[in-house]
Amino acid sequence: MKLLVVLLALLLVFCVTLLLVNRWYARRFMRWITDPATNPMPEMPAAWGLAAAYTRRALGREQALANESAARLDTLLAALDVLPAGIVLLDNEGRILFCNAVAASHFELDPARDRGQHIVHLVRDPAFVAWCEQVSNAPLELTCHADAPAKSIRLVAQRQPYGDDCSLLLFTDVTAQRQTEAMRRDFVANVSHEIRTPLTVLAGFVETLQSLDLSHDEQARYLGLMAQQTVRMQSLVADLLTLSRLEGSPLPGMNERVNLHELTTQCAAEAHTLSMLLYGADAQQIEIETAPGFDLAGSSAELRSAMSNLLANAVRYSGSKGKISARWSRESNHGARFEVIDNGPGIAPEHLLRLTERFYRVDRSRTRHAQGEDGTGLGLSITRHVTERHGGTLQIVSAPGQGSRFMLIFPQARVLAE
Amino acid sequence: MTEKHLSSQFDSELANLSSHLLAMGGLVESQLRQALMALTDQSDEIAEAVMAGELRVNAMEIAIDEELTRIIARRQPAAVDLRLLLSVARVTANLERAGDEAAKIARMVRSIMSAGSSSLPLSDLRLACDLAAELIAKSLDAFARLDTATAITILKDDIAVDREFDGFVRKLVTYMMEDPRTISASLSLLFIAKAIERIGDHAKNIAESVIYVVKGADVRHRSLTEAEAEIADIADARIDIGQVHYE
Repeated sequence: MKLLVVLLALLLVFCVTLLLVNRWYARRFMRWITDPATNPMPEMPAAWGLAAAYTRRALGREQALANESAARLDTLLAALDVLPAGIVLLDNEGRILFCNAVAASHFELDPARDRGQHIVHLVRDPAFVAWCEQVSNAPLELTCHADAPAKSIRLVAQRQPYGDDCSLLLFTDVTAQRQTEAMRRDFVANVSHEIRTPLTVLAGFVETLQSLDLSHDEQARYLGLMAQQTVRMQSLVADLLTLSRLEGSPLPGMNERVNLHELTTQCAAEAHTLSMLLYGADAQQIEIETAPGFDLAGSSAELRSAMSNLLANAVRYSGSKGKISARWSRESNHGARFEVIDNGPGIAPEHLLRLTERFYRVDRSRTRHAQGEDGTGLGLSITRHVTERHGGTLQIVSAPGQGSRFMLIFPQARVLAE
Repeated sequence: MTEKHLSSQFDSELANLSSHLLAMGGLVESQLRQALMALTDQSDEIAEAVMAGELRVNAMEIAIDEELTRIIARRQPAAVDLRLLLSVARVTANLERAGDEAAKIARMVRSIMSAGSSSLPLSDLRLACDLAAELIAKSLDAFARLDTATAITILKDDIAVDREFDGFVRKLVTYMMEDPRTISASLSLLFIAKAIERIGDHAKNIAESVIYVVKGADVRHRSLTEAEAEIADIADARIDIGQVHYE
């Protein structure tokens, strides 16, 4: 009986001790599990140790998965950032969830700070705000003025709904496209205008010749005027063909040697003839040095049209008291330069940059001041093309009242010693 | 991060009001850009459009004021809410005035065009107008983000616009002395320049309102350094005008 009591007492003591020990382990486990990443894992025997080890393994797996998906998300976002189009993700209320670098630069957004901001609070263009409010998914074209206020960017915005009432906005930069379209429109308009003018004159004279009984002299005069107009149309078409050939054909090779002496002599003769036709002999002083002492590699026909365009311009625009000089020389960097200097009226700075555009005229009245048949408005454009195809540049130095200086500058690679 | 009101209805009312204010701001911005375009392209058509747009700006001002009155009457706001609502009233008034100036520029462009004088220094004016439009845009950005750092830079930039104006006036005087025939066109240009200078001031007022909301400090009629010193130690008020802060 006494033994039983002692045994029971021992059992009780044992159970209580076990309970206390387990409670102590449980507390250590709990302390560790609250923040398993930073706290050290406690050393524990038996079941507790096993439980801790399994928990740690499971946590590790979880963490690895989380890291992996975070890394995947980062890669995805980094990829969206380098996309050439602007991307903005919006939640159901139109607040920014994410915007990539391009969209941020278009609208001066700050991807981190502007998260959760309503997009229409920051992109306040009324057309865009109205577009955001409507449900249709038709694209919208808008202008934004970010970065450089003078330079505006044309964007096309498209909206794609996704997920739980979220939407993706895609902004494509169409500035270059719109510019090309405008240039093409202008080009067609210019060409048709340039062709229509002589055609109208021709048609008028044809009608007159058909309906009126004219004397022989009058007929001859009208036919002469008609011939002038056809020449003008012919040269326009020839210039257009030259330009399209220049754009379409391969660059002039390095193997063809252009005899500059011969070429310059020909161009000089042309210039003298033109001057004589327009102003009579000896009106203009033309000095052209025809012996450069070196040759160029390239296309003789192209270079000839470039040089004669410059000389013809100088003759036409400098008037009957014109002084024109032209010469070849070597550049300090061993390149070559052909320059034509005249004492004409000069060109105002605002026109200089646009001078080589097709059909660009300093102004309509100036064209009338030029002598002889009107130019086609394509000469300098051709000259610039030819020079650039030979790796060179066309430079123009001019100021109103100070004459002009046109220079073709070719690189050393094109220069051949005599 | 921001403290929500007990009534979430109040929160959404404030957010809506800010949205309407910023939409009005967007309209005024586009009015300014169009006025600038009318000036650059000398376009009668665009000038006409700006003058028509002015009516919409006015209508929005009235609508916002009404909304504002209703909110104040119903919610009887205090502290930062009261400051926000007061600022909305101020910003609305300033935007409306800036819109008026845009319409004035459009009107003057038309009168310059009918006078037909082209030798005047228009390009300087374009630059200043660009600067002023940029300032209005920046001030509205600062309001949307409740960003006092940007607001301070606007106070600085407005000084640049004022300086530009002084220089332009001196230049115009020399033009008028050289050729008295340009006087009537020059006077129109002077009005445009003054309008641009005023637009800069309105942007500055908006920026000051932003500082008032966020810091609770009134920096009007203070020098820049005083204003900077005054708000340096004040913590930003917690306020919600529609931005959600994701974790």
